[in-house]
Amino acid sequence: MKTWSNYLSIGFASLFLITIACQTLTDEIVGKKPEDTKIINITMIAKSSANPVFLSARIGAEDAAKDLSEKYSSLEVNIDWRTPLREDAKEQAERILNAVQDGTDAILVSCSDENILTTAIDEAVDRGVPVMTFDSDAPNSKRFAFYGPNDLEIGENVMNELVNFMGDQGQVAILGGNPEAPNMQKRVQGVQNAAAKYPGIKIVGVFYNPEIAADAAAEVLRVNKTYPELKGWAMVGGWPFFNDTLLNKLEPGKIKIVAVDALPVELPYIEKGIVQLLFGQPTFKWGKVSVEKIIDKIYLDKDVPVINEMKLIPVSKANLGGWSRQLRAWGYDGIPVRYLKM
Amino acid sequence: MSPYEHHETAAKDRISMGQKFAYGLGSIVNNLLGGAIGFMSIVLNVGLGINPALVGTLQAIPRFTDALTDPVMGYISDNTKSRFGRRRPYIFFGAITVGIVFALMWQLPSGHSEMFYFWVFLGGSILFYFCYTVFATPWVALGYEMTPDYHERTRLMGVMNFMGQFAWISLPWFYAIMENDRLFSDSVEGARTLAIVIGIFVAVVGIMPAIFCRERFVAHDEDEKKKSNALHGLRENVIAFFKGLVITVKRVEFLKLCAGTFFLFNGIMLVGAFSSYITIFYVSGGDTDLGARYMGLFGTINSISTLGAIALVTWISAKIGKRRTFILATFVTLVGSLLKWFCYDPITQWKVLIPAPFMAVGMGALFTLMGSMIADVCDLDELETGERREGMFGAIYWWMVKLGMALAFGLSGYLLNATGFKVELGGAQSSTTFLWMRAVDVVIPAVAAGISILAVASFKITEEKSYEIRQELEKRRGAPAAESVPI
Repeated sequence: MKTWSNYLSIGFASLFLITIACQTLTDEIVGKKPEDTKIINITMIAKSSANPVFLSARIGAEDAAKDLSEKYSSLEVNIDWRTPLREDAKEQAERILNAVQDGTDAILVSCSDENILTTAIDEAVDRGVPVMTFDSDAPNSKRFAFYGPNDLEIGENVMNELVNFMGDQGQVAILGGNPEAPNMQKRVQGVQNAAAKYPGIKIVGVFYNPEIAADAAAEVLRVNKTYPELKGWAMVGGWPFFNDTLLNKLEPGKIKIVAVDALPVELPYIEKGIVQLLFGQPTFKWGKVSVEKIIDKIYLDKDVPVINEMKLIPVSKANLGGWSRQLRAWGYDGIPVRYLKM
Repeated sequence: MSPYEHHETAAKDRISMGQKFAYGLGSIVNNLLGGAIGFMSIVLNVGLGINPALVGTLQAIPRFTDALTDPVMGYISDNTKSRFGRRRPYIFFGAITVGIVFALMWQLPSGHSEMFYFWVFLGGSILFYFCYTVFATPWVALGYEMTPDYHERTRLMGVMNFMGQFAWISLPWFYAIMENDRLFSDSVEGARTLAIVIGIFVAVVGIMPAIFCRERFVAHDEDEKKKSNALHGLRENVIAFFKGLVITVKRVEFLKLCAGTFFLFNGIMLVGAFSSYITIFYVSGGDTDLGARYMGLFGTINSISTLGAIALVTWISAKIGKRRTFILATFVTLVGSLLKWFCYDPITQWKVLIPAPFMAVGMGALFTLMGSMIADVCDLDELETGERREGMFGAIYWWMVKLGMALAFGLSGYLLNATGFKVELGGAQSSTTFLWMRAVDVVIPAVAAGISILAVASFKITEEKSYEIRQELEKRRGAPAAESVPI
């Protein structure tokens, strides 16, 4: 018994010492910041704080700020969230200039209107504040980098995947959003480019909508009625599925549908087989990657490419569970438990 | 003797706590050396830009050189006759040289080509593993012979394994230390400094077993006579080496222990990466921070449980014998593997921690009981051949462990690809991919643990048999005394 009490004493003494050593080491590695810590405030201005995709982007930005502050002992990164409640380019421009006046170190913006924002971005850059865009670019501005998808490629992928589901013969309709938005124009162009490779595919038209769920759903139903032979929908945005209007109005599998965006509200359409494939945007990365790029540029003095392409993730019945869990990890609420268990 | 009666360890067979502690210090050094290169190699890729495939090659090649150097070192140590013993001189000089080589091999200058670093590090690695063998093989063999007592061997191995765990606890910190910008300008400089610190630690602590432990056996005089004529000695030694090697690998009881270890250890190692991937991408839905927190907690619970399991296994083995204890502990790990199926739950994520203590029991028991059981095999071998070959047995056993580990690491990447895992999808892998990943993670260790139990179930050296062998040996050559001149 004496031997065992010796073993135990040594064991607990060792554990105690190791715990103390680890605690000290942890404090040394990730603990208090030195007095000469560089504080970088990044102002983030997304399109709308009512839109969950941008709330997810905010979580990504704050996550990156936390990671970078932990990684570099002499750096503290803060996210200054100044996104308007509703989309308003003028409001965004005003907030950019206010942030510059308040002494921000960098600005991260998703442009609601390229033309209005270009002026504000240029002014900020002229006053010494670097600007990066995400999601929606202002390519003619003085922003140093953009992080977002390749819209032309997105359109091509939508059409190619649609052909995989419906075959290379038949009528196809294209659902566009705001016809003036450059990113929407490119996506539609991408669909048309890809469709041109399939002689058996006939595009019956490009049908635009004001990017409102009810209007988009109504347009889909109208086109379906107008073209009873329609075999597929190539949608460059997921607007018709942003509410449950179509859940009981479309027959699963009759018309094949591939669309961009895979938000929680759209997932029942995948589950029911109404939509065959959605291209999900890793919106968390809008914030995460962009903040890392800004720190690369202004703190680490690294070269940052002007265009930083974001890849979309195909979501189908096969990975509905995985995508749902991924959305939850990115900060989305309201995902049904049955999806999370898949 | 009934199964419930046990021999009490005689006072002369007991190893003092000081000697056990000194031997255990060797275990910290041994594990530190075994794991440090793996944990620091990330610097070769991240800091020096060597392709990950080349980094993998750098880690694989020494496994093949080990195949030659380990048994040769075992043979040399077994047949060495010196006033300091057959093990301790090698442990002493091995610890110092391996410490120096380890410190030097990481002093890589900046600004050279990828292939420059590859060849320089490869040369350093081969030299390092050679020196590591010079230290480790005699150190392992020393443990097998420090006591002739069936139970005291397990106690020694318990202390050794217990202390060795502290190396495994410290290893995951290495990257954080090297990357810390408050301490170093970059990870390469961090690796250079850390290597020097480890080198000094190894050289200083590694010589402790040589200084404080005592050997009980010496090489036979007739062997010494053979070596008097150099050429004749060389030929005789080569023949004797291969003869010994063949006898060792043909020893059925030894092979059972090797099979038991190979399957249990590598079954767990093979899916080690899977557990991380499943925790991050399935349980945590691709949230790497959350996944890392669970992995960290799992590791902590596992480490603490391993320490507890070692103490428990050492105690139980004195009650029910080594073979039964091993089977019981491995069965607990088998249950732990099966539990994973129910505990990988994306809704109740903390359940991922439940299998940790179960998994720890088998691993804690493995290297506590196996060392002790190999020592029993060495006695049986001496009874049948008249020679003591702890060095050879230890070398082959550990080479098998290292080779299996290298194969397991290599194979796990292919297995992961076979499940359909695509890193660019993050947490959005298909349900089929996750199903396969979970199935592999559960089934492989469970089946491997089952095979391990079957392999060891027929191990014949019971407590009673062990004491019979010992009596016979001591009748033949007398009791070995703990002796040898202090270094």
